[in-house]
Amino acid sequence: MKQAPIALIATALLSTLACTNINSPNGPSVTELRPGERGFVAGLGIESQDLVTISEKMARGILGAEPIANAKGKPVVVLESIDNDTRFPIDNDIFLTRIRVALTGNANGKIQFVAREHIEKLEAERDRKLAGQVTGGEKIKGNQFKGADFILTGTFKAISSRGNAGASDYILYTFQLINPDNSDILWEGFHEIKKQGKDDVTYR
Amino acid sequence: MKLATANLMLCALFLTACQSPDIQPAPEFDGDLIAAGKKEIANAPPRNKNLYRLITAVHALKLRQNKVARELFDSAMPSAGQILKSDASTRMAQSLFSPENVKGFHGEPYERAMGWFYRGVIYWMDGEAENARACFRTAQLMDALAEKAEHRADWVILDYLDGFITTKLGKDGAEALKRAQSNAGETKLSDYNRNNNVMFILQTGFGPVKKSGGDVGEELIYDGGHSGVHSIRVTVKDQLVTVPIFDNLTHQASTRGNRAMDMILARKATVKKTADTIGDIGTVPGVVLADFEDTREAGLTLLGMGLIGKFIGGSVEPRADTRTWNNLPQHLSFASLQLPMGKHQATIEFLDRSGTALPEHQKSVILDMQTGRDTVVFVADQ
Repeated sequence: MKQAPIALIATALLSTLACTNINSPNGPSVTELRPGERGFVAGLGIESQDLVTISEKMARGILGAEPIANAKGKPVVVLESIDNDTRFPIDNDIFLTRIRVALTGNANGKIQFVAREHIEKLEAERDRKLAGQVTGGEKIKGNQFKGADFILTGTFKAISSRGNAGASDYILYTFQLINPDNSDILWEGFHEIKKQGKDDVTYR
Repeated sequence: MKLATANLMLCALFLTACQSPDIQPAPEFDGDLIAAGKKEIANAPPRNKNLYRLITAVHALKLRQNKVARELFDSAMPSAGQILKSDASTRMAQSLFSPENVKGFHGEPYERAMGWFYRGVIYWMDGEAENARACFRTAQLMDALAEKAEHRADWVILDYLDGFITTKLGKDGAEALKRAQSNAGETKLSDYNRNNNVMFILQTGFGPVKKSGGDVGEELIYDGGHSGVHSIRVTVKDQLVTVPIFDNLTHQASTRGNRAMDMILARKATVKKTADTIGDIGTVPGVVLADFEDTREAGLTLLGMGLIGKFIGGSVEPRADTRTWNNLPQHLSFASLQLPMGKHQATIEFLDRSGTALPEHQKSVILDMQTGRDTVVFVADQ
């Protein structure tokens, strides 16, 4: 019994000595994932797995669309910027670029895309050719830049909420293939995703 | 035995005396705020790096080093949809024996909203109006955690700019303007002019500062910021526009209400106060009783319990996280004008309550208009 108080005090002293630093010298390791996989830092926003899923789905839809499937020759498709009406900043071109890549890979030459986004550089090169500054001007007969048979564009809309119970984001992705001559929507595809999450209690 | 008791008491005193403040020398400063900020970021522990990134980003924005500001905001802030997860540091922040500030700094909702506001401004400066609007919407959502419904998502400037950009993009921004006007109360906001092509993002004064309150520092309270500015006048050639203050950051910080973390800190505070009380009750009588042969055993037991109480009380860390993004303003405002292409000089005067310009606050900026995008300038009076 005499030893009990001393043991208690010794425990207190040892506890003090046992305090250690929480900062680990080991940094986070790097893990390589497929872009379609949901990563461990997945959040509520527009992420690579959404990009892959949506672009593949839209590419399949476009290839099966009547104006493309039954087109005579190779219809020219121009990509126009997406209208992002969500709370998530995005690289505006990445979805259309991903769809174009998926279409180019699966269309077996059925669709012709044009590099309209580089038009200024292309015009400058053509002008250099026509001026004889570089070779190849003799092959250019009039304006050879192609007009669009179809315009492919999209709109992202969202409903976002946040409260003590957590945060939620619903995003509706829609894509349209439009006839630029009469504004007819020839094909439309959509994909919707809802995500929910909750910050750690220390950040709420 | 008396010697042993004295040794134990010395140990106990030594333990309780280990409370010296953490004094760090002031960093060297050669006048370059960005370089000094980057040095602070490099030297800061991981949990504080974001704080210094945000502070330095605002310095960069004020110095018109937008690329530096953008990089710092991007590295300091999680992506718009990221969930702030539990990790070793957040678990430590909840534990009895660590203060809240061991967790990584992401700021309180008003600070997170300001991060997204500035990020949106930089997107707009870069000609990405849609992404700017996305950031303003995310910023507004950061404020949706306020305890009282009337204070949730009530930033005026965020809804106002959301609607303005929507209008400029050819859509209907009326609903956002209506929300902004509703939160602005009696302050009259201008209708949108979609032809306006020069945007002035304006801020004044010094923002709120966090400090700890409660019996043992467990409460987070705010020292209000200050600014003597009540309106702002922008003049370019023969055009003149006077705009009101849109938002007050002290109001935004102090209307957040209780945090979930406050309950954890309150529990820690209760443990600390109880343990301190046990320590006070046990230590002194224990020393007295231990001095007599007849009561020595009881005295040592009481002393041991008292010391454990003191040790636990001294080890429990209920302190709230008072790290503050300390170069935020007190007020935000916004003005816009329609100007022809070319270079123009703009004068920004900050007016007091009587409408008199405060000469020491006056700023002058050169507007370099660019085709196909808005010209967005950031002007701070401090």
